[in-house]
Amino acid sequence: MKIQVTVNGIAYEKDVAEHRTLLHFLRDDLGLTGTKEGCGAGECGACTVYFNGKTVNSCMVLAVEANGGTIETIEGEAQDGVLSRLQDAFDRHHAVQCGFCTAGMIMSARELIHHTPHPTVKEIQDGLEGNFCRCTGYEQIIEAILDATGGYREKEELVYVREQ
Amino acid sequence: MIHQFSYMAPTELDDLLALLDTTKGGFKLLAGGTDLLVNIRNGLLKPDLVIDVKRIAGAGAITYDVEKGLQLGWATTINDIISSTEIAKHYPLLQACACDLASYQVRNRATVVGNIVNASPCSDMAPALLCLDASILVATATTRKTIPIQKFFTGVKQTVLQPREMVVGITIPSHTKDSKGVYRKLKRIQGHDLGIVGVAVAMVEGRLRIAVSSAAPTPVITDDLPLDVSAPDALYAVERIINPISDIRCTKEYRRFMVSEFTKRLIQEVRA
Repeated sequence: MKIQVTVNGIAYEKDVAEHRTLLHFLRDDLGLTGTKEGCGAGECGACTVYFNGKTVNSCMVLAVEANGGTIETIEGEAQDGVLSRLQDAFDRHHAVQCGFCTAGMIMSARELIHHTPHPTVKEIQDGLEGNFCRCTGYEQIIEAILDATGGYREKEELVYVREQ
Repeated sequence: MIHQFSYMAPTELDDLLALLDTTKGGFKLLAGGTDLLVNIRNGLLKPDLVIDVKRIAGAGAITYDVEKGLQLGWATTINDIISSTEIAKHYPLLQACACDLASYQVRNRATVVGNIVNASPCSDMAPALLCLDASILVATATTRKTIPIQKFFTGVKQTVLQPREMVVGITIPSHTKDSKGVYRKLKRIQGHDLGIVGVAVAMVEGRLRIAVSSAAPTPVITDDLPLDVSAPDALYAVERIINPISDIRCTKEYRRFMVSEFTKRLIQEVRA
C-alpha cells in the first residue's frame, strides 16, 4: 500500500507492505536507525517515537496506520547540529551508557516536559514507566531531566517514592 | 512481522459493518493494536485481513450528558479518559483504573473497548465498568443491541460477542455518576506491569460494591452490600466470587490474601 508520511519535517511517499511495523519502516525503509527495537511487544519503550503529537511504541503501530500522519524521531531532536536541552543534559549527567534506550527515553522525557514543564522525581518516574534502562539504574536519567527542567540541585540526594 | 495480511481502513461506520458482514476469511479489528499486533507477531493470531476502526469520524469521542451519562467511542484511548475533565469530575473510578493501565505510551494507543473485548482476567478497565453499571453497545450491519457488562465476559479471553459483531461504544449511565470509588492494583514492579490482583471498591447510591480483576477467569463483581457492611461480611462476599489460580506471577493463596487485604483497606478509604 502506498503511504504518505512526514518524518522530522520531510514528506515521504512510499510503498509499504501492510504487515510492516512503523518501527521497521523508519529503520529499514527510511534508514532512521536511531529508534531501536528492544522487546517488540510494548514493554521496553526503546522504539518510542512521536506519532501525530503523541508518544507511541512504534513496534505496535503499522506503517499503514501512519498514512497521512506526522512522525518525529530522535533524528529530529538536535537542530542544526546543536543538541537539544534534554540531549545536552543527558550528555552532562552520563545518562547514556550503552545508548540503546536513549532515543526512547528522550522521546518520553520530551512528552513528560510537554505536559509537566517542571516535573518532580515522582512525576519523572511515572512518565518514564514505559522505558527500560538496563545500564544506568535510572538515577542519571532522572537527574538529567531535572536539570533540563530547572529542578536539579547539585549534591542533593534524590528522594525516590515507593508506593504501597 | 512474519505473518502477512491485507489492511483496510473504512471511513464510514456503515461501510465497516457491511465489510464485517461480507468479508470471507479470518479478520481482526484493529484499534490500539497493543494486543493484536503483539499476538500477530507471536504467531498466536493469523488474520487474512486487519480492519482499522480508527479512521471513522467520532471513533474516539467522549460525550457527557447529565441525563444520559457518559458515552465512549469504540476507539477512545486510555489517555483520552485520563485527560477528560468531565470524567475526572463525574466518574473518578474510571480514571483511577485508567491511570494504572500499562505505560504512558501504551495508554496513548490502547483503547477502553479493546481492553474489554480482549477479555483478559487482568483487565484494568473492567473493575470500574462493572462498578459503574456500564453497557456495551454491539452492532452488526443490520442489528444494534446493548449488553450489560455483567453479562459480557464468559471466560478467559471469551465474551458473548459473535464473530461478525463489533462493539461500537460504551455507555455509563447517569445514576452511577459522582460515585466515589478507589482502585488498587498489585504489581511485581512499581512501573508498567500486568496486575497480580486488582480491587475496586465503589460507593454507588449509598451501597458498596467490590470488583476484582486477576482473581477469576473473568473480572468479577459482588452484589451490592450495605454501606456499613462488616469486614467479615464484605470478605465473605468477595471470597464467593473469586477463584484465583497460581501462575508465573504468584500463587493462588497470595492472590486470595491480597484481595482480602485490599478489600479491607479500600472499604476504609471509600468510607472516609
